[in-house]
Amino acid sequence: MSKIDVQVTINGEVYREACEPRRTLADFIRKDCGLTGTHLGCEHGVCGACTVRLDGQTVRSCLMLAVQAEGASITTIEGLSDGVELSPLQQAFHDNHGLQCGFCTPGMLLTAQELLEQNPDPTEDEVRDRLAGNLCRCTGYEFIVDSVLDAAGRQAAVAGDA
Amino acid sequence: MAVQSDESTNLVGARVKRTEDGRLLTGRGQFVDDLVLPRMLEAAVLRSPHAHARIVGVDASAALAMEGVFGVLTGADIADEVEPQPVIYHVLPDQRATDTRAIATDRVRWVGQIVAAVVARDRYVAEDALAAIVVDYEPLPVVANLDAALAADAPRLYDDWPDNVVGNIEWSNGDADAAIAGADAVVARRMSVGRLLGCPLEPRGCVASWDPFTDDLDIWMSTQSPNLARDLLGETLRLPGHRIRVRVPDVGGGFGNKFDFYPEEIIASLLSKRCGRPVKLLEDRAESFVATGQSREVVIEATMAAKADGTIVALKAEVRTVCGGALGTVGVGPGWLSATMMTGVYKIPNVDVRLSPVLTNRAPMGSFRGWGQPEANFVNERLIELLAEELGIERNEMRRRNFPAPEEFPYETGVVFTYDSGQYGQCLDLCQDSVRESGWPQRLEAARAEGRSVGIGYGFHVEATAFGPSRILNLVGLNHSGFDEAVVRIDSTGRVTAFTGQVAMGQGIETALAQLTAQTMGVALQDVVVVSGDTATCPYTGYGTGASRGAAMGGASLMRATELLREKVKRIAAYQLEAAPEDLEIHNGRISVRGTPSIGVTLAEIGNAAYRRLSDFPADEDATLEERYVFDPENLAWSYGCTAALVEVDRRTGVTQVLDYVIAHDCGTVINPMIVDGQIHGGATQGIGEALYEELVYDDQGGLTTTSFADYTLPSACEVPRFTLHHMDTPAPHIPGGMKGMGEAGTIGGPAAIANAVDQALADIGVEVRAIPITPPRLLDMIETATREGGRS
Repeated sequence: MSKIDVQVTINGEVYREACEPRRTLADFIRKDCGLTGTHLGCEHGVCGACTVRLDGQTVRSCLMLAVQAEGASITTIEGLSDGVELSPLQQAFHDNHGLQCGFCTPGMLLTAQELLEQNPDPTEDEVRDRLAGNLCRCTGYEFIVDSVLDAAGRQAAVAGDA
Repeated sequence: MAVQSDESTNLVGARVKRTEDGRLLTGRGQFVDDLVLPRMLEAAVLRSPHAHARIVGVDASAALAMEGVFGVLTGADIADEVEPQPVIYHVLPDQRATDTRAIATDRVRWVGQIVAAVVARDRYVAEDALAAIVVDYEPLPVVANLDAALAADAPRLYDDWPDNVVGNIEWSNGDADAAIAGADAVVARRMSVGRLLGCPLEPRGCVASWDPFTDDLDIWMSTQSPNLARDLLGETLRLPGHRIRVRVPDVGGGFGNKFDFYPEEIIASLLSKRCGRPVKLLEDRAESFVATGQSREVVIEATMAAKADGTIVALKAEVRTVCGGALGTVGVGPGWLSATMMTGVYKIPNVDVRLSPVLTNRAPMGSFRGWGQPEANFVNERLIELLAEELGIERNEMRRRNFPAPEEFPYETGVVFTYDSGQYGQCLDLCQDSVRESGWPQRLEAARAEGRSVGIGYGFHVEATAFGPSRILNLVGLNHSGFDEAVVRIDSTGRVTAFTGQVAMGQGIETALAQLTAQTMGVALQDVVVVSGDTATCPYTGYGTGASRGAAMGGASLMRATELLREKVKRIAAYQLEAAPEDLEIHNGRISVRGTPSIGVTLAEIGNAAYRRLSDFPADEDATLEERYVFDPENLAWSYGCTAALVEVDRRTGVTQVLDYVIAHDCGTVINPMIVDGQIHGGATQGIGEALYEELVYDDQGGLTTTSFADYTLPSACEVPRFTLHHMDTPAPHIPGGMKGMGEAGTIGGPAAIANAVDQALADIGVEVRAIPITPPRLLDMIETATREGGRS
């Protein structure tokens, strides 16, 4: 099968790779760009582990083709922390035991990041509603919800200080 | 409790944040699909679309001719090269064998059974090639379910078997029939539990690299049991152990599914051997529904009888587990545990329990968190409530009257097991107090006043943990051991490395074992590293990381090994300080004379003396600092707990929502309460899924109709309530450190509590739950039937 060049910016770095038109965005990110932090849990768009942000919006990278992402700016889990500092959201997951096996965590973090940008002060129900598209089989969600609420509180505290 | 990472005391029992988190939060974890080896190829397998058929022929010539395809394997190719897939449990005296190989050779017995495999440049090409393989099937009559399997004229899955029954076993104690005949109240029910899948979010997979020049097999597996896997790879592939190295990358959840040993591991190894290149073989999610061990499905006919004062006098049970078309790694083990735990937490003098596992044309059964215990608990804890109602005794009072008292432990159940310790009454009190303090009775009344259907249910459970005493397990029929070996080493810089045979799979074992090691040695947490998941460098644990044994078994042996090393450190320090070893203490990595802290030596100095500059090292000690310990327990350790569920049923839709949830629990010494809370939450959520949502549904031709997360519905953040947890911490009397396991607790106690709550919510029309999951269609049907019949018959 002939290949097509795809160019995207991931976490601020430009990647230009030749891939088959049928290649999913998830495989492109993981295998062609080597960013294996994005995980594949179902490959049919339900579990949310493969969630990345494409031009700011969360998308399921298993349900998109890489060629559809041409020219896009993508954020993956590898782009969340600043140097060796965890982001406040990552730190909140660490502090609240918001992860166990860590397989769903990349999708959870990117979904929660988008939520907190859109709604900096969500209620617990709003957090649960938004996370309902990301399955976790380990935690029972309570500590994930706590992590997101804690991160929202930290953001508010930082905003209050500024 | 906040803990400073440079503090070496009070680590056990503290909410220490996990050492695993950093890599997992930043995308630096390494799961099996993240692994790429030079020249690596990727494989895919072709699965049978038929539940029961003869394989007439397989033509792979078109697939082999495709560009990018490196090889194809069929059943005929491997028939003489491998042994049948192993079954490690032989618990039935007359247990029949199903002896199937990694690829079907002449017959398929379930949808999804592997009939061929392709190795290619990448997975895309491999899947293209699967489509080009032509398999000629001759369909056979399908045994679609339990009734079909037991019918007098049922087609047989194995021609040399007289029927489809795997075997039989019976346990008797006292005279159950006579006791039932003389009882004041008797309840008899036929109850069933649906077919489930553990569903770790990361599907299974492996990367095998077989060196054709040396016959060394290097394999990375997403597994819970690397030592067992190495032994089973060796048996099946006829390789000696020292030629096989199993390594375990980060594991994205296991839940028992990754304890078992699967055909793909054999297939990837053989493909690698043929190509001389590493081969990656993953199951995708759709495959996982038929490729990963299924669980639970069972029909239990049980009778429980009591005297008027509530004393249970007898239990009879006939347990029929619905196995698939072949026995998996654990055979009928989970059914065996269901049968042997039918008495639950109650003193029942007369018991008669029978187990008869039956084959059907469904995918094989395997391990899943709970492993037979939820099934038994569901029936037992439903029966006692029904019996209480019959006798007019408050249900928890009924429970209390039949608990063994704390002074009656160790308590022999009469069926195989002896419970080591327990304060069941106190645990039930804790749960009931919490329910009252949370205002459930008022919420119930208020909801009813509004015409809503709300109910409260309880379930009390015991959990078999710290598995287990090797020689007893062997006697029972497990062809494997249950001990745990640990090695601990101090290096030349005085830092500690703990080597364990246990495997990290999200349960926080790295952190928990580091806490235990650091506190025992007297060093800071940051000065301990836990190494696991490599058969070439890590010690041997029997079984694997399952059966709630990681913290209890892995912790006990590591603690003892660390104590031995601590004594050696003290002897060396005593020599250097000219003091007596017994006068020394170790704190924050420094050994000093008790009461005279100014006189001391650091572990770094001891490490230097033991490895590099032995001039200040006692002549009668061996250089280096390393000890090992093997712990084989005398018994299992029995955790227990009480679950309470507050549920609401929508009578128009049959939808049940869990509103609130309380678990009171005792798992002995708790190493890290934060991790234990997380484990209980996760298990409880799986228990809720098991009770209400999850079910593998087969059609009448053995086709699986639930092969995506749209059909097999896992609980999401919106279905799961907050959990209120209460811990007791009665140390296990026979486990060093006093830990009991608790990984499976939530899956065991939940279903009965939820079913009991649904019964209460619908008590006015007399709905009685006899099958889980209580899916909306199933419950709606029961509501309509009960309404039509006008109350309980």
